[in-house]
Amino acid sequence: MASPHFKITGLKVAVEDKEIVKGLDLEIRGGEIHAIMGPNGTGKSTLASALMGHPAYEVTGGQVTLDGQDVLDMAVDERARAGLFLAMQYPAEVPGVSNANFIRTALNARLGEGNEIPVIKFHRQLQEKMKSLNIDPSFAERYLNEGFSGGEKKRNEILQMSMLNPRIVILDEIDSGLDIDALKIVAKAVNDLRSPDVGFLIITHYQRLLEYIVPDFVHVMMQGRIVRSGGRELAQKLEANGYDWLKQELGIEDETVGAEA
Amino acid sequence: MTQELSTVQSWLQEQAKAHAEPEWLRQMRERAWEAFQNAPVVRLEKTDLSRRTWDVVPPAVAAVAETGAEAGQLIQSLTEQSDAYVYVRDGQVVQVRVPADWSETGVIVADLHSAAQQHADLVQQYLGQVVSVEESKWSALNAAVWQSGLFVYVPRRVSVPGTVHYVVEDTGSGVGIAPRALVIADAESRLAFAEVHISSGDKPSGPVRSHVLEVIAKSGAQVTVVTNHAFHAGPTNFSTSRARVENDASVDWVFTDVGDGFTVGIVESDLVGSGSRSTVRALGLGYGRQHLDLTASMLHRGKYSISDIVMHGVLRGRANSIYRSSTHIFKHAVGAGSEQHDRMLVLDGTARADAIPMLLIDENDVQRCGHAASVGRIDESQIYYLMSRGISKSEAMRMIIWGHLQPTVDAIPSEAVRTLVRSRVDEELSE
Repeated sequence: MASPHFKITGLKVAVEDKEIVKGLDLEIRGGEIHAIMGPNGTGKSTLASALMGHPAYEVTGGQVTLDGQDVLDMAVDERARAGLFLAMQYPAEVPGVSNANFIRTALNARLGEGNEIPVIKFHRQLQEKMKSLNIDPSFAERYLNEGFSGGEKKRNEILQMSMLNPRIVILDEIDSGLDIDALKIVAKAVNDLRSPDVGFLIITHYQRLLEYIVPDFVHVMMQGRIVRSGGRELAQKLEANGYDWLKQELGIEDETVGAEA
Repeated sequence: MTQELSTVQSWLQEQAKAHAEPEWLRQMRERAWEAFQNAPVVRLEKTDLSRRTWDVVPPAVAAVAETGAEAGQLIQSLTEQSDAYVYVRDGQVVQVRVPADWSETGVIVADLHSAAQQHADLVQQYLGQVVSVEESKWSALNAAVWQSGLFVYVPRRVSVPGTVHYVVEDTGSGVGIAPRALVIADAESRLAFAEVHISSGDKPSGPVRSHVLEVIAKSGAQVTVVTNHAFHAGPTNFSTSRARVENDASVDWVFTDVGDGFTVGIVESDLVGSGSRSTVRALGLGYGRQHLDLTASMLHRGKYSISDIVMHGVLRGRANSIYRSSTHIFKHAVGAGSEQHDRMLVLDGTARADAIPMLLIDENDVQRCGHAASVGRIDESQIYYLMSRGISKSEAMRMIIWGHLQPTVDAIPSEAVRTLVRSRVDEELSE
């Protein structure tokens, strides 16, 4: 499949009639890693959920396309089968459904009827990926996220990312709650997946993750928009100096959504 | 004796003659029939029995029905997995199979008629001891008219190498039937026992069906008891299953009900022994106009007795289910403990579920007593999560429902029965 081209134009998103994302433009091509940074409450996670199609998030304006196809017109599962993958901050727990069964069903849904992966091949692949992510083999038969620690849930999201051959990967604060060793493992999984066939959008508070996953572009979100874009040096500057200098430059007093300067 | 005998009574006399029933058994049946007829109209809290009839119709003289597809397949699988079974159709014993190598162990698997003659001492001692003749109108009915029951006896310290099955098929030609099983696990023995009730064919409305299962787990015995119902609209089904659990013995129940029938059932452990232990895992999938009034009950009489009840229901259509979990800790049951978890998924707005937890505690010194009950729709965030990985909405819902039921199916010890329950659930969910 050709290198993906993901394009967001003038996107507006509301939650319970309150507009959170207020006209956002972003273009991601295969092989690129984009990072979105910004303080709490600026609309970063809302953006991620809306792109995946979470029913609580209403798109009130703008366009999102993947290779020219209208993403907003697709149901959640269609977006996933088109190649969109969101590693969630708070993935649901599903008792009684084993991790392995879930991932195999998801993979087969992507491969389509008649192209299902043979069971043994799947389990071999799963065990290999789990090993490289330093995940205990018992993980496969545990119920999906049930009783998982915060770190285990994050690792499980990354395991799914590694197994499902996504084309556009969105990581929503994958670094929160991870210790430094786990962070390195997650970063390695992302770097292993890096290729011209995959584009990344990494949402994070901290520059720490970006020491291990080097972004090509860094964007800062405030008040539901991208207010500044740059290269990785922008992230380093934010880490060193905080956001205040940028707010001053932009004339923003309160960066959260709903507070207009 | 000038009084004219009812058709049921004369039928019972014929049966007693045909099976050469001992005098004590004839008397027990007569006493039970009296009790059944004299028992007042029953009023239940959540089930309206006022419009259900109590007609008892003796089965046709010779059952002519053929084995249905589901029963046929199950019997074949049981033969292939070399397990023991007693297969009954419309009140007639069709087949009894006990693997040859079991006989050395002294395990008895027999139909209850034969056992009443060949193992008269055991049957007379225990029949009606755990589920008494008079305790309910339907227990009296069963004690009066039961046919083709099952008897299982496991001697001391014997571990039964497979699962004993009681397959009860009701094709509709033998109405008003009453299966009965008596299971005795002697001290330190181990047994897995599974009942499968199969309704094939269309039932006329009206007849009442009463099923009784008595289990005695002597000290240190470990027994797993599986009951699988698939009742359909028409008859009124009563199901009374109870185990007496002696010192350090354990009884694990697995109960499944998939259907649109009208059923009042109880699964109960009488934890008489110190250190006795029991669990209930129940699964219900109701559809159509199903009515299920199920009680899982633990009677803690013994010190340090422990119990756990887990019930999972799924309701569709106009199904109406009541899942009651009841724990009674009697005075002097020091150190007893119990947990209850009931979770109901209601798929359609027209279906209704009640989860009723009950705790009756008469002893101050107990370990832990907890309960959690919930009734609700499928969690939207679960559907979203599965869909976000490319799984369609219908498949996501099927997976979540199966996830809800799977652990109970997995607790069934017999592969053939697991397969049967799985296909019953799959068939209903695919519609």
